Amino acid sequence: MRLLLRGRDIPDLHQLSVYQANGGYEALKRALAMQPAEVIDEVKASGLRGRGGAGFPAGVKWSFIPQNEPIKYVAVNADESETGTFKDREIMEDNPHQMIEGALICAWAIQATAVYIYLRGEFWDIGDLLEDCIAEAEAAGFAGKNILGSGWSCPVYTHLGAGAYICGEESAMLSSLEGVLGQPRVRPPFPAQKGGGLYKEATVVNNVETLTNVPWILSNGAAAFRAIGTEQSAGTKVFCVSGHVPRPGNYELPLGTPLRELLVDHAGCDPENIKAILPSGGSGPIVPGTDEVLDTPLSYEAMQDLGTILGSASIIVMDNTVDMTWVASKVTKFFTHESCGKCTPCREGTYWLDKVLDRILAGEGKPEDVQLIDNVAKNMAGTTLCALGDFAANPIIHTISNFPDDFNAHVQPKPEEEKPAASAPRRGRRRRASA
Amino acid sequence: MAETVTIVVNDREYQVAAGANLVDAARSIGDLIPVFCYHPKMDPVGMCRMCLVEMGSIQRDRGSGEVMLDEDGKPQVRWFPTLQTACTTNVYEGLVIRTDTQEVDLARENVLEFLLTSHPLDCPICDKGGECPLQNLTMEHGPGKTRMVFGDKLNLDKHVPLGELVFLDEERCIQCARCVRFQDEIVGDDVLAFHERGRSLQIITNSEPGFDSYFSGNTTDICPVGALTTADFRFGARPWELTDVASIDPWDAAGSNISLSTRLDRDADGRAIVKRVLPRQNEYVNEIWISDKARFGHHFSRSADRLAWPTTGESRATWAEALEDAAGRLREAGEDLAIIAGSGLSNEDLYALQQLAQGLGSSRLGAWPPTHGGADLIAQVGVGQGSNLGALGSGDVVLVIAADLEEEVPLWRLRIKQAGDRGALLLVANSRGTRLDDFAGRQLRYPTGDAAHFLANLQKEDEEIHGRLRDANNLVIVAGAEGLDLAGSRALMQAAARILVETGHVGRPNNGLLSPLPGPNGMGLHYLGFTPENTIGIMAEPPKTLLVAQADLLADDPSAPAWLVEVDNIIELALFQDSLGDRAQVVLPIQSFAERDGSFTSGERRVQRLYRAQGPVGEALPAWQVVARIAEVLGQGRAKASAAAMMLEMSQQVPAFEGCGYRELAWTEKQDPPVGEDLWYGGTALLNRGGLGVQIPAEADRSRVKVAAPALPSRQKVDKGHLLIVPVTRLYNRERAFRATDIVWPRVPAPFALLNPDDAQRLGVDADDTIEIEVADGPAVQVLARHDDSVPAGSLALPRHLTTTAMPLTLSTGRVSKVTVAADARVSET
Amino acid sequence: MSLHDPRYKARIASHLAKYPDKRSAVMPLLYIAQEAYGWVSPKGVQEVAEICEMDPTQVKSIAGFYTMYSERTKGRYWLHVCTDLPCALNGAETFYRELQDYLGVEEGGTSEDGLFTVEHVMCLAACDKAPMLQCNFRYMESLDMEKMKAWIEERRAELEAAGQGQGA
Ligand SMILES: Cc1cc2nc3c(=O)[nH]c(=O)nc-3n(C[C@H](O)[C@H](O)[C@H](O)COP(=O)(O)O)c2cc1C
Ligand code: SF4
Ligand code: FES
Repeated sequence: MRLLLRGRDIPDLHQLSVYQANGGYEALKRALAMQPAEVIDEVKASGLRGRGGAGFPAGVKWSFIPQNEPIKYVAVNADESETGTFKDREIMEDNPHQMIEGALICAWAIQATAVYIYLRGEFWDIGDLLEDCIAEAEAAGFAGKNILGSGWSCPVYTHLGAGAYICGEESAMLSSLEGVLGQPRVRPPFPAQKGGGLYKEATVVNNVETLTNVPWILSNGAAAFRAIGTEQSAGTKVFCVSGHVPRPGNYELPLGTPLRELLVDHAGCDPENIKAILPSGGSGPIVPGTDEVLDTPLSYEAMQDLGTILGSASIIVMDNTVDMTWVASKVTKFFTHESCGKCTPCREGTYWLDKVLDRILAGEGKPEDVQLIDNVAKNMAGTTLCALGDFAANPIIHTISNFPDDFNAHVQPKPEEEKPAASAPRRGRRRRASA
Repeated sequence: MAETVTIVVNDREYQVAAGANLVDAARSIGDLIPVFCYHPKMDPVGMCRMCLVEMGSIQRDRGSGEVMLDEDGKPQVRWFPTLQTACTTNVYEGLVIRTDTQEVDLARENVLEFLLTSHPLDCPICDKGGECPLQNLTMEHGPGKTRMVFGDKLNLDKHVPLGELVFLDEERCIQCARCVRFQDEIVGDDVLAFHERGRSLQIITNSEPGFDSYFSGNTTDICPVGALTTADFRFGARPWELTDVASIDPWDAAGSNISLSTRLDRDADGRAIVKRVLPRQNEYVNEIWISDKARFGHHFSRSADRLAWPTTGESRATWAEALEDAAGRLREAGEDLAIIAGSGLSNEDLYALQQLAQGLGSSRLGAWPPTHGGADLIAQVGVGQGSNLGALGSGDVVLVIAADLEEEVPLWRLRIKQAGDRGALLLVANSRGTRLDDFAGRQLRYPTGDAAHFLANLQKEDEEIHGRLRDANNLVIVAGAEGLDLAGSRALMQAAARILVETGHVGRPNNGLLSPLPGPNGMGLHYLGFTPENTIGIMAEPPKTLLVAQADLLADDPSAPAWLVEVDNIIELALFQDSLGDRAQVVLPIQSFAERDGSFTSGERRVQRLYRAQGPVGEALPAWQVVARIAEVLGQGRAKASAAAMMLEMSQQVPAFEGCGYRELAWTEKQDPPVGEDLWYGGTALLNRGGLGVQIPAEADRSRVKVAAPALPSRQKVDKGHLLIVPVTRLYNRERAFRATDIVWPRVPAPFALLNPDDAQRLGVDADDTIEIEVADGPAVQVLARHDDSVPAGSLALPRHLTTTAMPLTLSTGRVSKVTVAADARVSET
Repeated sequence: MSLHDPRYKARIASHLAKYPDKRSAVMPLLYIAQEAYGWVSPKGVQEVAEICEMDPTQVKSIAGFYTMYSERTKGRYWLHVCTDLPCALNGAETFYRELQDYLGVEEGGTSEDGLFTVEHVMCLAACDKAPMLQCNFRYMESLDMEKMKAWIEERRAELEAAGQGQGA
């Protein structure tokens, strides 16, 4: 079942004529015939959750937008920079109009005055494609001035990032669009609030995939959407499968599909040769390739129960040959490179972790070093302005807890050097039970 | 009392100001939440994560609004799952925090540990050592030992000049962005920024010249580590060796409160000398900021050119001889005496001079330089008692006319810019563009020389703007003298005063008139009877004997050589050996502001004390004492023993100074924000222990005042082929006293003039050509031409004191021509 | 080539027209400056600052934050090789090392002929086509060293033919 990757079934779907021949922009017409609030209600009723990572209900987010503000924006998050994520790219390359239509429906629902699509800089060619699509849509009266004769105008613009993962974080993305340094900002005020969004105006930020679902919902109804997936995770999801996989790529499947079905049946993995899985790129907790894990449904709630996250569903598979210390180091290098530098624990912590991991991998580590990085990572978690600080802590904490032997193998003191530990480990951070 | 809310801190309830920042609110009840990036003068950014606390809210029933109780009958608290930054929280009813738990302790320890992973441990050689927030907070909250392997530390450049004045040590920077935010939010010169990201994040400047701002030094105060240091103080001394002495910025009318850090110094024969200048908090005056001129311009007090002993004729004399000689000449002059006093003299000095003249029957007291009229109008309708530019905001209007505050009184420009940020309408009127335009709500233009006409006719000519002035909640008018002669300046002040009176914006705080009177004591000159109009009279009809005190007549006035010829006797009280000394019969060395007790009266009529910080140069005496001792020789009574005694008498004799005894001037109160108690909260700006001063009431504060309609002077006639020459001010120039501050030299431009491109074209002058300007009374000057299309055609802006040749004092006309000079004979900078 | 060259006029204007604030155009204009000068040169920074009405410090700050702006000169072909985890699991690290060896350069270096600058980058959203890289920001996917060598030699031959093998 494909609601999003329809370009695989319909050749040349990126052309407006083809898109229209397949029902394109009918949903926008339908939306414009509705009250904005009704559109929001429909999306709320569909149970559509954000596909950018956090899984926040899209309709609820739209309903936060104050109605009386004269200027409001929709910012489409096409920064797609999470390690192992490549779904938005395919959606935009093969089915761009559906995303533009979704963004315009969202814009109508909140009565926005403009849409900005923030693309990671490497997607400049997609930017060119989108520009053409926008021009086509404008010419056909679907975007720009006086859309479909409604009197409502809403131009759609693209904006290219320039190589910064952090600009996928919504507030950093807005700063980057404004021409200030792309660092996350203090919330509240949230983007949806006056003062917190683009140019301080209330702004909806949604992921490409999230918005691309919207035309389908308007055309087929919230109930039809709810019928796909699970109670708490409605609809389909594009799963990006990479790593040690015979058939890597994007798979659009109903949410709640068991991991085993995705990895074994679709992607062709040997279930016996899966050592570990990163279900949400570098940022979510790693899980071992056990039967229990493979039998977990790919839904927001089930992945959370498993102690990890569905996130953006960039699923990286590692086989039995992989050293988890190396994985921890790899992912740490990513976050060290991508930390914006604003928060002390993230800026200093990533640098420190990276240095110690390098030493461990070079065979110069001591057993205390494993305790040290575990403790440093725990000290970072939960203390930063944006979630990158937590993301960066995850690969350390969870590789160590799931695969301690991989670390010990690097730091086992050679017998002749054995000495008592120099100092007692420091007190660890006490994790609060959440209220 | 402002609205309050109840918050719970560590299980105790407190009332705090509603909406206050939690860090500030907690501090007000004695809970000092440590911070690095937060600063009470700037918007929070939540970057350093030092201020993490446990946070929650008291739960209320959705329906009834009643507080929900737990089993123990205590209010139920919903806690955040993770620690929250206090600095990004504004207090609200029912906010609950804990700052004393193990979790919070650990978080603080962790943040410090993270910061110290890359911070060098070079405290013993760091300029901030001993007054370092990082050091202090590490002592209090930090980890006992380091877990970072030394080899893992990052090595970075430790001597990066951000300009001539401020240096960056990249290793010490903790990326709190205080400096970046200060330059952007508070100053509006966003010439600092971060470069790169993550652990590579570094402060840079890419302005030309580097760190191009008149306020750069303040970043070194608020930097919570020793990453930013001034060229002045770098490796100069250790903070713990220093003694701080309260003083006042000797450069302009703002009267910024400063502190002179002194040390017993080997280079000064073991005597105390000033090692650096820091701001001293006075929320009414300068808050916690000072201009770079205030910070770095103190070097003249130790310049090698200072006068060290009295001379009579050509030769060194003893004080007794010199005083005898001076007294003899004064006795002989009798009534035929005039005094010209500079605006750098203290109130006490001026009072002594006034008494001396009175004793001899002369009332010819001139103020120097005679450029700005209307100080009497400030005495009448100046900003009301209790005024604070920091209180202006939404609904208020500030009109700045015929002034270039960036260059004349930088601190006013800073505070007025901020008033604009808070919502005040900032109107900037001038005949040309000035820096303040960048922050203006509206820019207003009038023809050169027409400021007074413009304001006097405002109601007729621009109903809308006049309406904005009329309807303002509070209205402050800052009227300068740019493009005006003295009569024009006075007329402008009158026009401004009339608008204020007619629209009811006098006699209350935050309303009234200001003027960038030159020097730190322009209002003292007024209150003690020294006027620029008298000076013009003296210049027109020179007396037999002239006493000149701290006034550089020859450097300021091109016509001085001509009229001084008619004076028989010149008695000079001076800081420096200057050219007037060659003509004077008696030259008496006086002490600089740093060497003596005294007081200045600021442009806001605030009388503020100076304290003696360092010993005198040679035999120099405070000017008041020199004068009082001459008076004693003349039989006018015994000289007072101290500046305090002078002020005591003045406070009884001169009504304006009533209530200005030194004890009153030294009065302080707790200020908000409470900086200075510790370093990590407000920076190194000092707690004010020297006094907040006393603001002399304006007449309008006490009674109704009337202002006569301005006598609008006729416009300057410009001969064919001539241009109007508008003397303007540059903060950094080659004035006698400022020349001693050599670290700022690279920032002093080669002498130049600003020309309208059309005029330039007509004269065949390209940018950077040398032009010669001939004015009626005085020598021609050669300067470089710069094009500026905001300068109206037909006039030329000529910065004062960029050459050592005197330039016209006030608006005049002159002939401008291009000169062809050999490349090696280009306009020299000194 | 300066940003004031007529060829950029329309593009600059269209970017400025997108945003309510000129400052927002700083990123697109930096790309144009990079195109005009071959890198984000001091002059380019100055020109962008003037057009966007920003202090040059702020422009420099933006240029330094993002990896796709280069503040130093580079070879004609910038090869951004993804060595992030999914690619690395599929041999990208070896591929990158071999590529470096073949060109005789270290990380960030430029080959002696001045043609190729190599750098490793983080995930480029093409994980299913590892090893991969971007050459002057164009995707080249599902690579191996044989393909790469051929490609490199083609580029060299191309320039040889055009008679400008040296320096770009
Ligand atoms: C460090 C960081 C990086 C992120 N990167 C992306 C991204 O590349 N694309 C994306 O859609 N969301 C990303 N997000 C999530 C966004 O902040 C935001 O939650 C999302 O765009 C909201 O859209 P949604 O509700 O449709 O998911 C990132 C978040 C963080 C903290
Ligand atoms: S957590 Fe890291 S990336 Fe996020 S704002 Fe803080 S420093 Fe920047
Ligand atoms: S984060 Fe609150 S003081 Fe820095």
